[in-house]
Amino acid sequence: MALSKEIYSVFEDVVGPENICDDPVIMPSYFGKDFAAVILPKDTKQVQAVVKLCNKYKLKFRPICTGWKGEFPQGIILLDLRRMNRIIEINEKNMYAVVEPYVISAQLQAELMKRGFHFNVKGAGTNTAAMLRGHGHLDQTTSGDDRNHLAIEWVTPEGNIVRSGSLGSTDEWFSGDGPGPSLRSILTSAVPPGSTPGVFTKAAVKIYHWPGPCRFPVQGVSPNITLSEIPPNFMARYYSFPSLDKMMQAEFKIGESEIAFELMGFNIAMVASNMTVSNEEDEEVFRQLKKESQGVGFFIIIAGNCAADFEYKKKVLKHIINETGGKSLESIEKDPRNEGILLHNCIRICASIRETFRSGGRFASIPMMGQRDLTVRWAVGAGKAKRSLIEKDLVVDDDGAFFGWGVEQGHLGKTEIFCRYDPVKPGAEEAVLKWKAEQQKRASDEHYFAMLWGPEDEIGKGLCNYQLWWSKLKKAIDPNGVALEAGSLV
Amino acid sequence: MSLEQYQDHMEMCMRCSCCKFIPMQRVQGHKYTYVCPSITKYNFHSYSGGGRLNIGLAMLKNGFNYTDKLLDIVYNCQMCGACGVSCNYAMDMEVIEPINEFRIKCVEDGKTNPALEKVITDLRKQGSMVPVTGKRGDWASGLNLKDAAKEKVDVLYHVGCLTSYDKDMQRLAKATVKILQKAGVNFGIAGDNETCCGSRAYQMGYEQDFLNQAKKNMAMIKKAGVKTVITSCADGYQAFKVLYDKFNLKGDLEVLHISEFVDKLIKDGKLKPREKVDLSVTYHDPCRLGRLGEPWIHWEGKRLSKSFVFDPPKEYRRGTYGVYEPPRDVLKSIPGIKLTEMTRIKEYAWCCGAGGGVTESNPGFAQWTARERIEEAGSTGAEAIVTACPWCEKTLKEAIRETGNSLKVYDIVELVEKAI
Repeated sequence: MALSKEIYSVFEDVVGPENICDDPVIMPSYFGKDFAAVILPKDTKQVQAVVKLCNKYKLKFRPICTGWKGEFPQGIILLDLRRMNRIIEINEKNMYAVVEPYVISAQLQAELMKRGFHFNVKGAGTNTAAMLRGHGHLDQTTSGDDRNHLAIEWVTPEGNIVRSGSLGSTDEWFSGDGPGPSLRSILTSAVPPGSTPGVFTKAAVKIYHWPGPCRFPVQGVSPNITLSEIPPNFMARYYSFPSLDKMMQAEFKIGESEIAFELMGFNIAMVASNMTVSNEEDEEVFRQLKKESQGVGFFIIIAGNCAADFEYKKKVLKHIINETGGKSLESIEKDPRNEGILLHNCIRICASIRETFRSGGRFASIPMMGQRDLTVRWAVGAGKAKRSLIEKDLVVDDDGAFFGWGVEQGHLGKTEIFCRYDPVKPGAEEAVLKWKAEQQKRASDEHYFAMLWGPEDEIGKGLCNYQLWWSKLKKAIDPNGVALEAGSLV
Repeated sequence: MSLEQYQDHMEMCMRCSCCKFIPMQRVQGHKYTYVCPSITKYNFHSYSGGGRLNIGLAMLKNGFNYTDKLLDIVYNCQMCGACGVSCNYAMDMEVIEPINEFRIKCVEDGKTNPALEKVITDLRKQGSMVPVTGKRGDWASGLNLKDAAKEKVDVLYHVGCLTSYDKDMQRLAKATVKILQKAGVNFGIAGDNETCCGSRAYQMGYEQDFLNQAKKNMAMIKKAGVKTVITSCADGYQAFKVLYDKFNLKGDLEVLHISEFVDKLIKDGKLKPREKVDLSVTYHDPCRLGRLGEPWIHWEGKRLSKSFVFDPPKEYRRGTYGVYEPPRDVLKSIPGIKLTEMTRIKEYAWCCGAGGGVTESNPGFAQWTARERIEEAGSTGAEAIVTACPWCEKTLKEAIRETGNSLKVYDIVELVEKAI
C-alpha cells in the first residue's frame, strides 16, 4: 500500500512536506482506510501536478471536500482539498458566486446574505461544501442539483485543466453551457456513479434574491440558540393533512401559486429533532407533535418581499390550506420560539445532523427524484416496511415516516426515506441494509423511479443502458484508469 | 474514567466536520469561521476533534500504535474544548472527555512529550508550573495580607503559579488585592501554603499529578476552614470549580472567578467603578472560564434501547453554562469603556493558544494561535483586548510583541483597579 520513498518525495516536492502524510496512524480519521497517502494541495496547479503524477505512477486517486461521506477503496491517494477554501468571487450583477471545494455552505450563505442574496444549501447541511451537487430545503425557489452549477474548473483524470461553459471562452463564470464547451453530461449526473472522475477545483454557483435580513437575530448560548424576533415578512408553519392526496394537492397548489420561499416535506420526527437539543427532548417533542398532527404533512416558510407581498402570500396559503383540510401544528404557530428555531435552522440548514445522526449515530437513506405524487406512493410502502423494524426495536421510531419536496415550484421533486439506527446494536445494520435493498428493488421492479444509488448495471436497464456509454466516456477521459468513481461526495 | 468508557460516544462520530468550525448558526461570513486551532494549523483531519475520536476508537479496537505522528497529533491540541461545543450543538456525545482520556493514556503508557515531562518534574519538586524564584507569597510583601492558612478569613484568594512568580504578572495579584481591600472583603492568601492547582498538569495528561495537587490544596483549605475561594486565573478556576468536583474533592466549597466576584460586589453596591477609563476594548473569553468553566455534571446511568438515550437522561456539558456575562457586565460598569465583541466569543471563542501544554511543547503553535486572536481582536477596531486569565494575557502579549501590533492587552482586574 505504502508509496516508495522516491514516489513519496516526488509528491512532497509538489505540496511541501507538511502537506502529505502516509503514517498509518492518521488513516482511521480518513474513513478507516489504509490510503497510500493523504495529500493536501493548495490550489489548482498543485492538484494538476498531483493528478499528473498519479497518472505517471498509475496510482488511483480520489478527492474529498469536507469528507463527511464517501466510499473509498484501500491503497489510493486521497486528495483532501481543505486548503482550497477561498471564495473567489461574488458577482452580484450576474448573480453567481465562485468557490473552491472547501468553502462550506455556511460561509458562502453568510457572505451572500450580507449582500441580499442566498443560494441552494444542500440538505446534507451547511457544514458541507458549497459547490456540492445535490438537493435541499430551498429547492422550491432555488432549484437543485446541476441547475445551480455554472462554469466549472475541472482537473481531468489525466491532469488537464478544462474550463467549462463560458469560462472556456471568456474568462467569465456566468454559464455552464457556453459560449464555450458544455460538458454537462460529463460533469454532472443524477444517477450512479454520481461523481465526476477528476477534481473540481473551482465552481460557479447561481445565487438568488434573499428577502431577509443580512444576519438573523440569533441569541442565546449553544445549543439553546433562538431568534430574538421573527424577521419582518417571514413566517414558518407546519401543516398536517387528513390524507396523502390532500397533502399532495396542497403542495402542488402552493407550487403553482409560487408563494413558498421554502416547502420542505419534513415529517414530524424530523421537525422534533430539528427543534430540540437532546435525544431525550427529541423523543418527548415527537410524542407531543404526533398528538397535534392529523397525518402526513410539510413544513413551509413564507417570505414576503414587502408587507403587501407577505400578506398576499399568507392569504393564498390560508385559502389552499382550508381547501385541503390542512391543520397547523400549534407548537409552532403559537410559540414564536419554536417558529424562530425552525425558520432559522431550515434556512441556514444547520440542524441536518440532529435529524439524521443524533438519535442513533447512523442513518441509511433512499433518496429519489421523480414525479412527487408517484414517488410518495412508493415511500408509503417503504415506510410500512420500516415500521416492522421499529417494532423490532432495530431503528429509531419515526412512525415509518418519509419526506420530500417539490423543485422549482413544480411537480417534479425529491422524495426520501431513511432509517436512523445504532450500528453497534446487534442486527440493526443488517436489517436496515436489507430494508434498503428490498425497497430499492421494489422501486425499480414496480417502475416508480430510477435509483440514485445502486448497481449501475441494474439501474441502467431502465435508463437506455446509460452505463455502457458512460463506461466508454470514462475510458476516453481516464485512459490510465486512475480516477475513481465511488459514489457521491459530501 | 477511561477511554474505554467513552467508546459508545466515539462510535457516534460521523465525521461531519462541525468540530472544526464555530457552531453553524453563528457563522457570519468567510472569516473567523474556524474554531479549532489544531485542525486550522495542521489541516489533516486527524488534528480535528472528530479525527482524534476516530483515531482513539481505532486504537481501542486494534491496539495502540504509538508513532511520532500520533504523539504530534496528541500533543498539538490546546484541549480548549471548542470542538465539543460545536459538535454538541447537534449531537449527543462526549468529545473533549475522550480526547482528554486519550492523552492521559499516552502519559500512563509513558508516551510523553519531553517539554511537558520537564514541566511536570519541576511541578513535583516545586509545586509550580512556572520557574520558581523566591517564595510564592513574595509578591505580597509589605501588603499586610492575612495568611488564610492561619487566620480566619471569609475568602481565600488563590493566586496561582504564573501570577505569583512571574514579575510581569504580579501586578494582577496586586490589582486584585486592591479591589478586594477597596470593597472591604475579609480575605487572605495562603502564601507559601498555596500550591499549584494542577489544572495545567491535567490538561497535559498527567492525571495523577493533578490529583496530588488537588488533594494538597483541598487539605489546606479544609484545615483553614475556608468556605469560599476566588481565583484570578481561568486554569485555577476550572481546577477548583470543575475538576476538583469531577474527582469528588471539592465538597461544598464555593468557587468564584474574580470577574464573578467583582461583578457581585458591583451589583451589591460594595464596589463602585467611578473613574473614567477611556478605552475601546474587546473581550477574550478564556476557555477554562468560559466553555470549560461550566460546572461538572455527576451522572451515572445506562444506555437504553436503540436510540442514544440514557436512564437517567444524560446531561452533556455543552459550554452553555460557562462564565460569559459577569466579565462583560464588569467591563460595561466601568465609565468610559466601550466594549465591542469579536466574531468568535463566549462558548465558541477562539483559544489564546496557551492551553494543553502547547505553550511548553510547541510555543510556535501557541504563538500562531494567539496571532490569529490578535488579528480578530484588531478587526473590531478596539484599542485593547481584555481577558481574565494571566496565561491568556501572557500569550497574547507575546504574539503582539512578535508581530509589532499596537493592540494593548489588559486583564480585567487592571481596568477595574483603574476605575476604583
